[in-house]
Amino acid sequence: MSMAAVEVKDLVKVFDRIKAVDGLSFYVDEGEIYGLVGPNGAGKTTTLRIIATLISPTSGEVKIFGIDASKKPEKIRELISYLPEEAGAYKNLTGMEYLRFMAKLCSRNPAETEEMVERGISISGLGERLNDKIKTYSKGMKRRLLIARALMTLPKLAILDEPTSGLDVIYSFQVRDTIKRFVREYGITVLLSSHNMLEVEYLCNRIGLLSRGRIVAEGPPDELKASYNASNLEEVFMRVSNND
Amino acid sequence: MIKGLKTITSKEIKELVRDPRIILGITVAPLVMFLIMGYAMQGIFTQVEKSVEQIELGVLNLDEGNLGESLIENLTKLGVDVIELKSTNESDIVQQMKKYNLTTLLVIPENFSENTENHKGVIKMYTVYGGGVTESAKTGRISTIIEQIKRIWSPDPFTVSENSIVKGKIIPVSPNILSGLFMSQNITIPIVIAIVTLLSMQLAATSIATEKEEKTLETLLSLPINRFSILVGKLFGSVFVAMIGAVAYLAGFNYYMGSFNAPGAGYIELSEIGLTPAPAGYILIGISLFVTLLFALSLAIIASAFTEDVRSAQALVGYFYPIIFIPMFLLMYADMSMLSLPVRIAVFAIPFSQPVLAVRYAISGNYLIAIAGIIYVSFLTIVILYIASRFFATEKILTAKLALKRMKR
Repeated sequence: MSMAAVEVKDLVKVFDRIKAVDGLSFYVDEGEIYGLVGPNGAGKTTTLRIIATLISPTSGEVKIFGIDASKKPEKIRELISYLPEEAGAYKNLTGMEYLRFMAKLCSRNPAETEEMVERGISISGLGERLNDKIKTYSKGMKRRLLIARALMTLPKLAILDEPTSGLDVIYSFQVRDTIKRFVREYGITVLLSSHNMLEVEYLCNRIGLLSRGRIVAEGPPDELKASYNASNLEEVFMRVSNND
Repeated sequence: MIKGLKTITSKEIKELVRDPRIILGITVAPLVMFLIMGYAMQGIFTQVEKSVEQIELGVLNLDEGNLGESLIENLTKLGVDVIELKSTNESDIVQQMKKYNLTTLLVIPENFSENTENHKGVIKMYTVYGGGVTESAKTGRISTIIEQIKRIWSPDPFTVSENSIVKGKIIPVSPNILSGLFMSQNITIPIVIAIVTLLSMQLAATSIATEKEEKTLETLLSLPINRFSILVGKLFGSVFVAMIGAVAYLAGFNYYMGSFNAPGAGYIELSEIGLTPAPAGYILIGISLFVTLLFALSLAIIASAFTEDVRSAQALVGYFYPIIFIPMFLLMYADMSMLSLPVRIAVFAIPFSQPVLAVRYAISGNYLIAIAGIIYVSFLTIVILYIASRFFATEKILTAKLALKRMKR
């Protein structure tokens, strides 16, 4: 039996008396694409930030490949790659400089740095524009660069918060395609969050519907649609929300 | 009226005044500054008054006539505490002044009576000059008393030739001239140091805020790198810029010191009379400025972690204005020796005073105190960096904000 890539048990996070996450539990298998889906304020980003070791849980447990995120955050950071929603890049660096900067921070030797950069160049698909300063990039180009940064290191777990946020249909399609290809080719595990039901339906092996900091329904998209007698995930979500 | 101007102005004012960090920074800081300055300046003026109230004056009377004696009598009558030296010549006056702990000495020459009757009399005044303000106040007071005596005797019976003793060397220049030169130097150096410090702090303060504003900090913190490296890396980046500032400052300072000379004495350069730092002094000034900038940058980086955007980070630096400017202003007008003990301790304790004090101590050759200041500021910097590293290791770096809620109106 393979080890769970992510194991979250009874996770609670309270900010100034506001419960952002309220007893959340789920797991993600190795090599799986798992989507956290829910409306704004459901606790998706807070959960991903806890898993990415950026913030600590108020209570509960998070294990990444069996390692406790609260006890050994530095070990977790060696296994993951985190792409925040609306993340930025250093606007005075060129795209190439940015990829190299990030690769140097994640690699163990110059050869590995070069491998990562080459992979980043290929994922981004930005070609010659990588030699231009990031401040000249469109929103879509910047997001492609950031996704390339997140995947080029071949993390064991990629945590992607709204990966196609702000991208148009064509770019979104390309990004989703890249994520699927990477999971297939390199066997990495992906945990993502999204508002876009079409996206999660296309990408994810399993999804967790999140409402008020808790999972209210979970399973493969087709199973969820069947069990709620819905034609798409939006309908599933509305029915689950109404029952909740 | 230009279309939209009123609406935009009104929105700008709302944005600014609704952020208490900005409004407090620009109102409280100057108020606190002037209150403390007023208190400290009162102390300085009292000290200057005291120094001229009771004047102790050494007199070496070599005059063979009666007018020398008469001059001493008149000085005593006008409230001067005269200490008569028993020497027979003026070759060892520096040693004699040291022996009797005198700061001012009047030498009445052999033929003073005879020359004075012919309106050609000359007396020599020697003042030990250490780069302070009180020396010139004191010689000014003595000169006034002598003028009074001259008026009583007859119009212009004699003249006074003023000399300064700098580091045991007699310089034929009035201490008032040296004091004037030092005064302009005392004003310029603190202003330049304050500007370099503030600019560096502004730069450093924006480094974390920019990462937050541009949404790059979260990515950086999730990477497999030691968070202390992020902190120190940011610090070193700012230090590099600050070092350029420090080198430019030292080059400017060197030129500035070289541009001074004392008119009326054949344009003697201050360096020739020992009133500029020795090479070791310059090194100490450079180190002192560097460690103080390091401290200032560390402080600015930590403070900026509590802000969410660049504008708030820059406004936050405003809170440091009082502790930067108060010692600078005080040291423009006073020596440490003129300040009361609590004020003196407070000025020394504020790290931003150290580069100004280092200049003073380097000129006077008092290297040990300059080194003590450098060690003190270095220690504070290590403490600040330790606190920062603890702070960076937690989620507070992402979630910390100043506990000031935005005002809604």
